[in-house]
Amino acid sequence: MFLTRSEYDRGVNTFSPEGRLFQVEYAIEAIKLGSTTVGIRTPEGVVLAVEKRVQSPLLESSSIEKIMEIDSHLGCAMSGLTADARTMIDHARVTAQNHAFTYDEKIKVESATQAVCDLALRFGESVHDEDAMMSRPFGVALLIAGVDELGPQLYHTDPSGTFMRYDAKAIGSGSEAAQSELQDKWHKQMTLAEAQKLTLRVLKQVMEEKLDQHNVQLAQVTPQQGFEILDEVKLKEIIEVM
Amino acid sequence: MASLAHPQQRQFNPYSENGGTILAIAGADFSVIAGDTRQSEGYSIQTRYAPKVFRLTDRAVLAVNGFAADGNMFVKKVKQRLEWYRHAHAKDMPLRAIARLIQTMLYARRFFPYYVYNILGGIEEDGTGAVYSFDPVGSYEREACRAAGAASSLVQPFLDNQIYFKNQRPAPGTSHPVHLPLPTVLSIVIDSFTSATERHIEVGDGLEIYVVLAKGRNLQGLEGIRGMQELTVTEDGERVFVVRRELKKD
Repeated sequence: MFLTRSEYDRGVNTFSPEGRLFQVEYAIEAIKLGSTTVGIRTPEGVVLAVEKRVQSPLLESSSIEKIMEIDSHLGCAMSGLTADARTMIDHARVTAQNHAFTYDEKIKVESATQAVCDLALRFGESVHDEDAMMSRPFGVALLIAGVDELGPQLYHTDPSGTFMRYDAKAIGSGSEAAQSELQDKWHKQMTLAEAQKLTLRVLKQVMEEKLDQHNVQLAQVTPQQGFEILDEVKLKEIIEVM
Repeated sequence: MASLAHPQQRQFNPYSENGGTILAIAGADFSVIAGDTRQSEGYSIQTRYAPKVFRLTDRAVLAVNGFAADGNMFVKKVKQRLEWYRHAHAKDMPLRAIARLIQTMLYARRFFPYYVYNILGGIEEDGTGAVYSFDPVGSYEREACRAAGAASSLVQPFLDNQIYFKNQRPAPGTSHPVHLPLPTVLSIVIDSFTSATERHIEVGDGLEIYVVLAKGRNLQGLEGIRGMQELTVTEDGERVFVVRRELKKD
């Protein structure tokens, strides 16, 4: 893809003569190696689903954590270098708590997403003598789901710090096939139950292993219950009727 | 040369007290916030027109009383925070969020406080009229009415009696209303200030009464009020009005 690879793909704060930041573009490539993650927005709430790659039969699948809570009304699913996501989610959690402390209200989904993206371009940033806090861009993309006064919303963020709102979005290794499937199957008046089934069906199509309650994780954010990760019992029920 | 034998004491007092009184009353779907405009220090009047009541948004009005310099600075900082919030979150800050923000701003100065009593009035997200009152370090609560400032000890008992019906027994078979209609509230406000002007030397000169109406509420109770002016900025939301009146200047 990058045939013009040159000295410009080394530094994180040097544009190439064509006006590109190669390290950021490589970071976006890193996400395409990550496990597939799907998010769907419906009028009833937002559903997030991730594939958990269980590389070894000795691996405890329950220890793979790819969906995390930001606040009671905000959830987040990741793909790529998941270790990088911890920094971002920690920042989002602090921002959400500070907002609730100062304003006695829940932070908006867009504002929380903006806060996460503010971090994304902090690489290579240093004040003359001090060391840079971050040496490279984040290698992770997030799907941020939440409910606020504007209703259920789904946002996608990438290593360039760009964020966009989606009705349905897939990221990670199987994202191309998954996204076109979402485009076919998503409709405006989808119920939450339909969205749960659709996320799993999409994941099933792009996964190499047979999908079961151990190798996927499903979470949802609803106006009533807020953020919740579905347990394996609930997940099994959905997989059976799907 | 000053004698070193005797103990000496020096002090600098950064605060002063500039008189005046503010008050606010919440209705079912409106809120009234008022203050006089006299600013004094001791027996001298510094100015006859120094506003103590400020429109923050179309649904929030803040009255500030105490040390005028601190009050003006505090209002300036609150307005700045409201603008930052508008840029960051693409909406006007809701009333209860402003109330909490004022608490955090006041408590941030816990050990060098703004020497001011704040009363915030306006319309909540659910469309009800609201009044929040604060002490100088940020303790706050939502109430139906509150008076603060120089004549608060005169006005508050009057409001307790007229708004909360304290020491009054309803006629047999009836009960006291929870919220009063706007014309009644306006009369109580005007009477409060004319009386405070009579009995307190630091109250007088001018009166500014802000009225915030909930979204979609008609102008019932405001028609024909002398000296009224509309201050609303955005359309089809809450509406803000100000009524300016003279008070005795002696």
